[in-house]
Amino acid sequence: MWENYSKSYLKNNRASSISIMAAALAATMFLSLLCSIAYNFWIYEVEQITLEEGGWQGRIVCDRFDADDLSIVCQFANVEKAVVNEELSGCGETVIDIYFQNARTIYRDMPLISAQLGLEEDSIEYHSLLLSRYFIHDPEDTAPPMLLSMYLAILIIVAVSLILIIRSSFELSMNARIHQFGIFSSIGATPGQIRICLLQEAVVLSILPMIPGTLLGIFISYGAIEAINYFAADVSGRHEAAFQYHPSIFAFTVLISFLTVIFSAWIPARKLSRMTPLEAIRNTNDPLLRKKKHSPILSFLFGMKGELAGNALKAQKKSLRISTFSLLLSFLGFSIMLVFTTLADISTRYTYFERYQDAWDIMVTLKDTEISDFSLTEELQDISGIQDATVYQKAEAEIFLPEELQSNELTALGGLETIAGTPKTEGGFQVSAPVIILDDTSFLAFCSQINISPSLDGAVVLNQIWDSVNSNFRYKDYIPFVTDDHRTTMLYQNGQSVEIPVLSYTQTPPILREEYKNYALVHFIPLTLWKEKLRHTGDAEADSYIRIFSSGNASLTDLNSLEKEIRQLVSQQYEIQSENRVQERLSNDSLIYGMKVIFGAFCVLLALIGIANVFSNTLGFLRQRKREFARYMSIGFTPREMWKMFCIEGFVIAGKPLFLTLPLTVLFVQFAVTASYLDPMVFWSEAPVLPILIFAAAIVLFVALAYYIGGKRLLQCDLNETLKNDVSV
Amino acid sequence: MEVLRCNGIEKVFGKGANQVTALNGINLSIEKGEFVAIVGASGSGKSTLLHILGSVDKPTKGTVTVDGVDISGLSAADAAIFRRRKVGLVYQFYNLIPTLTVEKNILMPMLLDKRKPDTGYFKTIINTLGIADKMESLPSQLSGGQQQRAAIARSLIYRPAILLADEPTGNLDQKNSKEILDLLKLSNRNLQQTILLITHDEKIALEADRIVTIEDGKILRDDFTDTAKQHRSIPVETRR
Repeated sequence: MWENYSKSYLKNNRASSISIMAAALAATMFLSLLCSIAYNFWIYEVEQITLEEGGWQGRIVCDRFDADDLSIVCQFANVEKAVVNEELSGCGETVIDIYFQNARTIYRDMPLISAQLGLEEDSIEYHSLLLSRYFIHDPEDTAPPMLLSMYLAILIIVAVSLILIIRSSFELSMNARIHQFGIFSSIGATPGQIRICLLQEAVVLSILPMIPGTLLGIFISYGAIEAINYFAADVSGRHEAAFQYHPSIFAFTVLISFLTVIFSAWIPARKLSRMTPLEAIRNTNDPLLRKKKHSPILSFLFGMKGELAGNALKAQKKSLRISTFSLLLSFLGFSIMLVFTTLADISTRYTYFERYQDAWDIMVTLKDTEISDFSLTEELQDISGIQDATVYQKAEAEIFLPEELQSNELTALGGLETIAGTPKTEGGFQVSAPVIILDDTSFLAFCSQINISPSLDGAVVLNQIWDSVNSNFRYKDYIPFVTDDHRTTMLYQNGQSVEIPVLSYTQTPPILREEYKNYALVHFIPLTLWKEKLRHTGDAEADSYIRIFSSGNASLTDLNSLEKEIRQLVSQQYEIQSENRVQERLSNDSLIYGMKVIFGAFCVLLALIGIANVFSNTLGFLRQRKREFARYMSIGFTPREMWKMFCIEGFVIAGKPLFLTLPLTVLFVQFAVTASYLDPMVFWSEAPVLPILIFAAAIVLFVALAYYIGGKRLLQCDLNETLKNDVSV
Repeated sequence: MEVLRCNGIEKVFGKGANQVTALNGINLSIEKGEFVAIVGASGSGKSTLLHILGSVDKPTKGTVTVDGVDISGLSAADAAIFRRRKVGLVYQFYNLIPTLTVEKNILMPMLLDKRKPDTGYFKTIINTLGIADKMESLPSQLSGGQQQRAAIARSLIYRPAILLADEPTGNLDQKNSKEILDLLKLSNRNLQQTILLITHDEKIALEADRIVTIEDGKILRDDFTDTAKQHRSIPVETRR
């Protein structure tokens, strides 16, 4: 019997059935798309990190490590494998990379491992970046990276919005049938039978679109990944994203959609089972107020019409709640995504391109080549079009800084302990001292630049430390690090110490495309000195670099041809990688553009979801109130006055989500701008105000359209027929 | 044989200052085969009483026993099953399911029980009610009178212990009203169907055997009509 009833109902109410199926299809598709894209982004992040830094999770760095120690580590219950990192080991130091079966307990297990090996805690390192991608954070970290959490939050917001679409399309359809189910109940249908009927219908209407919706979402996400690869093809150092999919994503999407459908059908069924048959039969969908309500603002502004509109909206508050909430989420997700993209764009420009505008034109990386083995420096500098070429290599060292050698400015701020949190040991501090080895010509030029007598006999110390007390990371202020009266410096590398002369202390580094650690004392030394004193103890990186400066206004064509010429010269003898600034900027712009297009498309889809939802809900809301409006007309409301009432209601329905979302968006902007130490005026000059305003206008337009269409139908209906009380018992 | 008894029925709507007592201590007993009309002005509580007797609504206080079963304490599911099998409800505005055919509407109580109807009995009802040729029509394709006949047929299909009719002629013209009343009387006489009819029209009430007058939620009078008296003077076996 229920089968017959459901079939005949669905056949005679095609519009309602189609709208439910369309809602299920759209929502499932977007949910699938969202989950698939999020999964691929996450996989790509993990791959990128693994390619660049390795897949290790924990690391032990110590002087002495034998086979027995390795065996102890491998036998630890949670350790999947432990391998010696041959690349980083050497010169009296052994590096062991550890992989865990369950990385979630890494912050508990690593100290246990080091204790078992009799090592200090500072021999442990964590691959925090990789671990954070699995939401594994150091429990003692007070400010763990929140980026992934933010993405997840946006994902959840949008997913809830999609789920609400299914829910609200069901609710409208089910509410319209409470009267019918009341009749069933009055002639003996049990609440259980009615629930089963509703659930069966819900399943039938939703299963059909759910699978194609999920598959369509996967297909579109594949397209999105390929589009990203296309836009980012020229970005150097980027590995191509391969579309990946896990069956659990499919299962998750289908399950969530299915559960939503069941839940959406179950709610009106439960509502019905709580009503007596009489209440259900009497359910006219007329807006009923339980208590006297007053709408002071609307009454004040619009008089009687405002009061009626306000009361009607209050009486239908519950049924409007879902569509308002869904629209609010769509708008919020849309706004936040746009704001976030803008902030990221500004940040990249500020921290990278604009900072290094005049620092380089072409960068060449000499793979696995020591600076001392590079013999083409002169030939390079002879190439026309090159104004300046610097060959350099980086090495790590440390110094021991006695407390009294800190600069007065640093001491006044509380010293290294306060600024950098460096612990004091034996009256001093262990300070990182990166060494930048410049080719001799460039070093001599650097000496001239800082107005000292050019010499290859000593180092120039970059005497600056970030004043993190009085400045932020975006607009850093520096103060002198050490007192500048010492003429020698003792560098410690691989357990050995080397004393080298200091030619000068400066606060002006040479022009290189380099960022230095905030609390390090950088030493610039000539190649000659490196070869003489530090080469055999030094802990240099595998690669060397050539920074080439052309003229600063070189066009893309000029730089491309210059880069080609350099490659031809250098690649004959060395393995190299090169990039030019203009091309990189263009590639980055292309990437940002591509991301904006994809994100923008996603935001537009979000917008469409919210608008479609509010459109159908508004239309449904009007349809249910036919009798109410017929009453108004029967007591003398003119059509013109009815339209005024529609305008008032439409204004409230459209305005509410906007007025709620805009302050939230502003708060988010405030938070994000403050957290990133950006100048608010810089952000506001580029804020995506126009797209947000367009979306807001679209909401207003579609609500107005819904009221226009619904209102026109209402005003054309037969008063007599409508007022006939066919649901009175 | 007593088919319905209610003791001390009270029904209160609302709370506090907005409280309204629709029924205030109703005691009523109906014998099998009786045709009872409940009369009262608008707002007297007659429809409320009928809904409670039909387990469509619950009393605030008191008990209702139908065919030996106390229905006032039944769960929603049990009340629905009881209603399906023991009570026939006819409303003023028919309350047919608009998307089901007339045949399915009539057979609905049996279909809910997944039972096959007695074909002979079904044909008797639809022929008696004059709607045999409308079985494949939808309710919207019938006149008001025809819809009400279909609703009556639905209420009779399970041979209920009692048939409750709430202003069954309220939405019909005079001709159709008379026909519906005649049909109800026919089922009462021929099938010994116990009928309780709500009306505000005294002329209609006079067609019943017994009139219960209700005012302000209380029974004012409970009399047998002349028709009933006349009817009772005729031996039972020749009453048909």
